Amino acid sequence: MKNSDKIKRMVVFYFSVALFFIILPILLSYSLGYRIDYKAMKVYKTGIIFLNSKPSGASIYINGKMHTSLTPAQIEDLEPGVYKVKVRREGFYPWDEELTVRPNMVTKADSIILFPVMQEMDKLNKQPCRDFAVSDKGYVYYFSDSGLYRSDADGFDMKKMSSYAKWPKKIIKKRFSPDGDKLLCFNEREIIVIYWNLEKDESLDGEVARVNEILKTEEPIVDVFWYTGSGYIIVVTEKYINVVELRGGGKRNIATLYKFGAVPTCVAYDSNNGSLYFMDRAKDSFSKEGNYLYRLDMRQKFFDYLMQLLLKRDTEIPHEKR
Amino acid sequence: MKNDKFYKRLFEIIPGLLTWTTIIGLFMLAFIRPVWVAIFVITFDLYWVIRICYLTLLLVFAYRRLGKEKRIDWLKESKAAGCVDGLEYKNIYHAVLFPSYKEGLDILVPSIEALEEANYPKDKMIVVLSVEERAGDEVWQNALSLKKKFEGLFFHFIVTRHPENLPGEVRVKGANATWGAKALKEFIDSKGIDYEHVIISCFDADTCAAKEYFGCLSYHYITNPERTHSSYQPIPVYNNNIWQARSIARILELGSSFMQMIETMRLEKFVTFSSHSMSFRTLVEVGYWPIDMISDDSAIYWKCFLHFNGNYSVIPMYVTVSMDVATEKGIIPTIIKQYKQKRRWAWGVENFPYVMMGFRKNKKIPLAKKIRRGFHILESHYTWAVWAIIITFIAPLPLIFGGGLFRQTAIGYNLPSIAAALFRVSIFTIFVCMFISVKLLPPRPKDVKPRKRAIMLLQWLFSPIVVAFMGSTPAIDAQTRLMLGKYMHFYVTSKSRKHTSSK
Repeated sequence: MKNSDKIKRMVVFYFSVALFFIILPILLSYSLGYRIDYKAMKVYKTGIIFLNSKPSGASIYINGKMHTSLTPAQIEDLEPGVYKVKVRREGFYPWDEELTVRPNMVTKADSIILFPVMQEMDKLNKQPCRDFAVSDKGYVYYFSDSGLYRSDADGFDMKKMSSYAKWPKKIIKKRFSPDGDKLLCFNEREIIVIYWNLEKDESLDGEVARVNEILKTEEPIVDVFWYTGSGYIIVVTEKYINVVELRGGGKRNIATLYKFGAVPTCVAYDSNNGSLYFMDRAKDSFSKEGNYLYRLDMRQKFFDYLMQLLLKRDTEIPHEKR
Repeated sequence: MKNDKFYKRLFEIIPGLLTWTTIIGLFMLAFIRPVWVAIFVITFDLYWVIRICYLTLLLVFAYRRLGKEKRIDWLKESKAAGCVDGLEYKNIYHAVLFPSYKEGLDILVPSIEALEEANYPKDKMIVVLSVEERAGDEVWQNALSLKKKFEGLFFHFIVTRHPENLPGEVRVKGANATWGAKALKEFIDSKGIDYEHVIISCFDADTCAAKEYFGCLSYHYITNPERTHSSYQPIPVYNNNIWQARSIARILELGSSFMQMIETMRLEKFVTFSSHSMSFRTLVEVGYWPIDMISDDSAIYWKCFLHFNGNYSVIPMYVTVSMDVATEKGIIPTIIKQYKQKRRWAWGVENFPYVMMGFRKNKKIPLAKKIRRGFHILESHYTWAVWAIIITFIAPLPLIFGGGLFRQTAIGYNLPSIAAALFRVSIFTIFVCMFISVKLLPPRPKDVKPRKRAIMLLQWLFSPIVVAFMGSTPAIDAQTRLMLGKYMHFYVTSKSRKHTSSK
């Protein structure tokens, strides 16, 4: 190796070694959150505040002083303590919080949502409607006096689906079926089901959807659920738990599964394990009355039981009345 | 003797043990002490960035030196050197030894033609082609046909057949090279030539020496007062089939070339690699290449180092020898081939127990030198095995396993941004590699499209991925085998070449 190469190499080598030992303590102390006060020649611990907002680009105020950067921002060199932090953006409600900065730690407020003061609203439908339902498939259904309409989530591609207009008054709930082809709506006494994705022979007058009035009950309805498979619904009234078969018009197959001792206060259906939970009044072993939680298992076993019930009822009805 | 066995095993275990302790230790610490690992990772990242910047500068120095020296007419220089210690270019013989296995004529003919084209008197050149008996008759017939074709061109052309299963030998290249060297000795003895007047170059079958190689070698040999205590190392480039090779293979082989160029700037660590040259007198005195070690190229250096009590060095020559890139048609076979080749190179870790055992027995080598050289071998193989793993796989572990509390600490929060910043600093070294790789390229063959030149540049963008997966794994594999006593056998990198004509 030429001497000049050797000298160059030695210079570069010792420079690299020096660089490593100079940079390393600075880099490590910075990473660990230590800072040096060169005036006082003192090392002190600091913490970090990290702020991020939606929308981003908001101004940041720390203890009333405006910070130079906008969100998302990392505010470093903060001495441990409590800081009043404000996030501001024109046209949005402000976000104020007191954040505690701990030594060598990061305090994160990275999911700040700034809500607009005046949100611009989109009117989706041109005609007035009585009610609506939004499916998780990105459609909006409009129950209007001139029929049933459907648009996409932005109100575009409006389409008339049915001329049916006798919507129940004061609809309590609307539930989409698990297969996504039906929607049930009910008020205190009445249940209707809307069908779409119809077969050709199911469609009346070329309409895309069909609305069926399923049931009118004597006692008030508490809740209605889709039973697995979308072919049945579970109707919970103040007196009974019934299962209603949707197939067939006119007289429908209805099975009563339970009779309440008192008006049920709470009912829930878990579609994953096919179980209906409800509260009812009952007596304990000491004849003391109270509310108890019941579970009605409605999986395959229940289906067999249901079939038996329906068969029994069919055989009890005289042949000519069927 | 019993002690020797114990120490040999101990030195075999040390490199692998260090590597695995580092990897497993850092992995475990990432769970229980993520802050410690984060501090280690930042320290290592900084060390690595500064190290590669330093090495890149050395590469630039070496490249500039290569650029200057390859324009020199070395034959003229060796003539001008005159007669030193009774040696002058006229009375020096170059013996070129090709230990060959199954390489075909497509590989061997260009290597011998390169000798024919050398700027050096051919009547001072002896070619020795030593083929393996186990390679079969076809290979032997090829060797004879080569002798027939080329023997008139050179001072002498020896073909010899290395028998299988000689006592003490294992199936390694060194055994074949030693056999060839012994055949050469017979010829030299018959001619009464002084061994000191013969320089032997041990080339791979695919090695094509640059035109000025022998002139340069003669010049260094004549002018070096320690000529018999030195090996002479050219810069290996992999230009023979570089235009046809897969990108991944090119990146890895260019990386090897660059490392070799860098090593020429670090003489205290410089060890012979692949094709190299030395005095025939030295070779005979030390008892030829080891016949039971895979890494014969570096092992011969250590053998000489121990024999001459540490008074042995490697002289860099800024001339190139061109070899084949280990490549295949498909990407997966190429990766496998490259992996096996790199693992064989990494098996050079077998030198560590060999050298340490030699150090134990040799009391004449100064202790400081023993420590320094022993540390160099261990450090180079240890770093090879762990650096890519630390940078790629260990670095994110504290964030993955450190838990929420670690991520809330300043160091947990800063770790990704600091690592990314250091990585960005190191990117400039890729641009330097791009530039030098293009400058080292041979002329584009006619059948290769011009856009391939752009690919030659863009391939470097994949280098971080290639390095992440191929950087450390062959070395870990080799060290683990040595640690467990599962010794490797010589893997011959198969060679075949498409015939292309230069533009």
